[in-house]
Amino acid sequence: MHLTPEEQKMLDGEYGPAKAEAMDHITQFGDAFEAERLLDIVYVHYPAEMGIYRGSVESLLEFSEKSPKVEVPTTTSTLCMDIDQWKEMGVPEELAELQMEVIEPHREMGALGTYTCTPYLLGFIPPKNSYVATVESSAVIYYNSMLGAWSNRGGLFTKYSAVTGKYPEMGYMLRENRKGTHLFNIDIEKEKLENFTDYNLLGIHIGEIVGSEVPVMHGISTHKQENLIGMGATLATSGSVSLYHIPGITAEARTLSEALQGDVPQEIYWVSPDDLDTAREKVSTMDGGEVDFVLLGCPHYDLDQLREVAEMLTGKKVKKGVELWVCTNRMTKRAAEWQGYVQIIESAGGRVVCDSCPVESHMRNSTCKQYGLPVPYIEAMATESGKMARYVKDLIGCETLLVDRKKCIEAAIKGKWGD
Amino acid sequence: MRESGLQADSSRSKRIIIKCRGLVKGQITGSALLMNKAFSFMGDVDMDTSEIIARDHEQKGETIAGKILIYPETKGSSGGCVVLNALYQQGKQPGAIVNLKMADYNLVEGAISAKIPLLCLPERDLGEIMKNGDIVSVDGGKGIIEIIR
Repeated sequence: MHLTPEEQKMLDGEYGPAKAEAMDHITQFGDAFEAERLLDIVYVHYPAEMGIYRGSVESLLEFSEKSPKVEVPTTTSTLCMDIDQWKEMGVPEELAELQMEVIEPHREMGALGTYTCTPYLLGFIPPKNSYVATVESSAVIYYNSMLGAWSNRGGLFTKYSAVTGKYPEMGYMLRENRKGTHLFNIDIEKEKLENFTDYNLLGIHIGEIVGSEVPVMHGISTHKQENLIGMGATLATSGSVSLYHIPGITAEARTLSEALQGDVPQEIYWVSPDDLDTAREKVSTMDGGEVDFVLLGCPHYDLDQLREVAEMLTGKKVKKGVELWVCTNRMTKRAAEWQGYVQIIESAGGRVVCDSCPVESHMRNSTCKQYGLPVPYIEAMATESGKMARYVKDLIGCETLLVDRKKCIEAAIKGKWGD
Repeated sequence: MRESGLQADSSRSKRIIIKCRGLVKGQITGSALLMNKAFSFMGDVDMDTSEIIARDHEQKGETIAGKILIYPETKGSSGGCVVLNALYQQGKQPGAIVNLKMADYNLVEGAISAKIPLLCLPERDLGEIMKNGDIVSVDGGKGIIEIIR
């Protein structure tokens, strides 16, 4: 790979050991894919080291001894607990102490303590055609598709991009790889493809077919942000989709022809309502019945979604023995407190959770075993999120019920869904 | 000693060498674990025991530690590379990974961190010439896998 004199100096350690380590990994990474040069990036979303992953916090502490400093705006993804409420939420103290060790190093390096999976909702909106290095597959796909900011599926090395401002020129950093490859004609009446959960199901179906390719969805008319966020999250769960196009809606597809970069698709599919039913069966282990946990806010909610939930819960009570989590980031929670939404959700018996989510928490079965907590931690979860349902059924080992927001709230109030 | 796959009359072992694209260097010999479907390090595997835990996975209950994992492509959350690193911290990482399609960027970050040889795009259909439990030698630097019979 060709390095500029400045990049070579970083690699040689002239700018200190943190940049040298970072450049060493980034060049190895770029060489693996035969990248010709490094690109200047404008933004990083970085995987905050979580206490539930062995060695993860320790690796940050080790890196921070080299006094790293970020070169570009850097937000952080989720932790394994809510920083303010971990005690009430049953997080083992030992785990909480380990997790809290990351806060100071992040501040010192200049990584912002956003601890969220939806950083774009906090105003981190890089310009179209800019290069970014981002982790969190639901964010990667949003940046690529909706904003047209170019990113690969980042991981551990996004921290190296943060301290150097560099990423190899490869994958979705090259225009020709951003071409739509598979065309999906969506033949579903509007009533059946309307809400957040419907779009989650569509994402599960398409993601499984295309794997890592670039789907183009034809026949979608939604402009609702949450539907597009939900569909992106599941495309990146059942597959590893990082970029999709919807002609007329997404950033790089004013027309179908532009989405396909003037080419013809490799494959053409028709999607029917039956496909959504099949998708639901893949992640929902039950059609109805009793639940002891209800999860909203995957990916993390914005202020308006919190408003909607607060309105649905006004004057209602969550059934005793049922936990309701509504996940968001801390900044949005503050705003929701000002609006009065948090108070409504809490007085109904729900909890507005920040910084984390069930699948990344102490509820994960491997973490429960480590800390002597019951396995599975919960029996049955109702959620509107295909991504959450897919992961908790195996990582928490509970039953799952994938139903829309209204039904989730009803399940929280009754402790069950259906007869 | 493994007996299956050996001809009763064969006095010497056969070497089958398959060229791949090598992405992360390193050499190892181990037992192959072939999977037909895309694999997600997030969700499909327990990060402490390395056991496959996904309910709908055909090899549920098997462990991936030390195995030469061969599967079409990686799917799922970008936390997958973090899981790979967590497995590595406990010495439970796979011995090597071979992807039939082009490898995922996130996976490569995890493999470099966890020092796991990683190869992709084998020139022959591995599903046709290999089976679970075959002993294979992998060289990520040279981009070669060798099936030992």
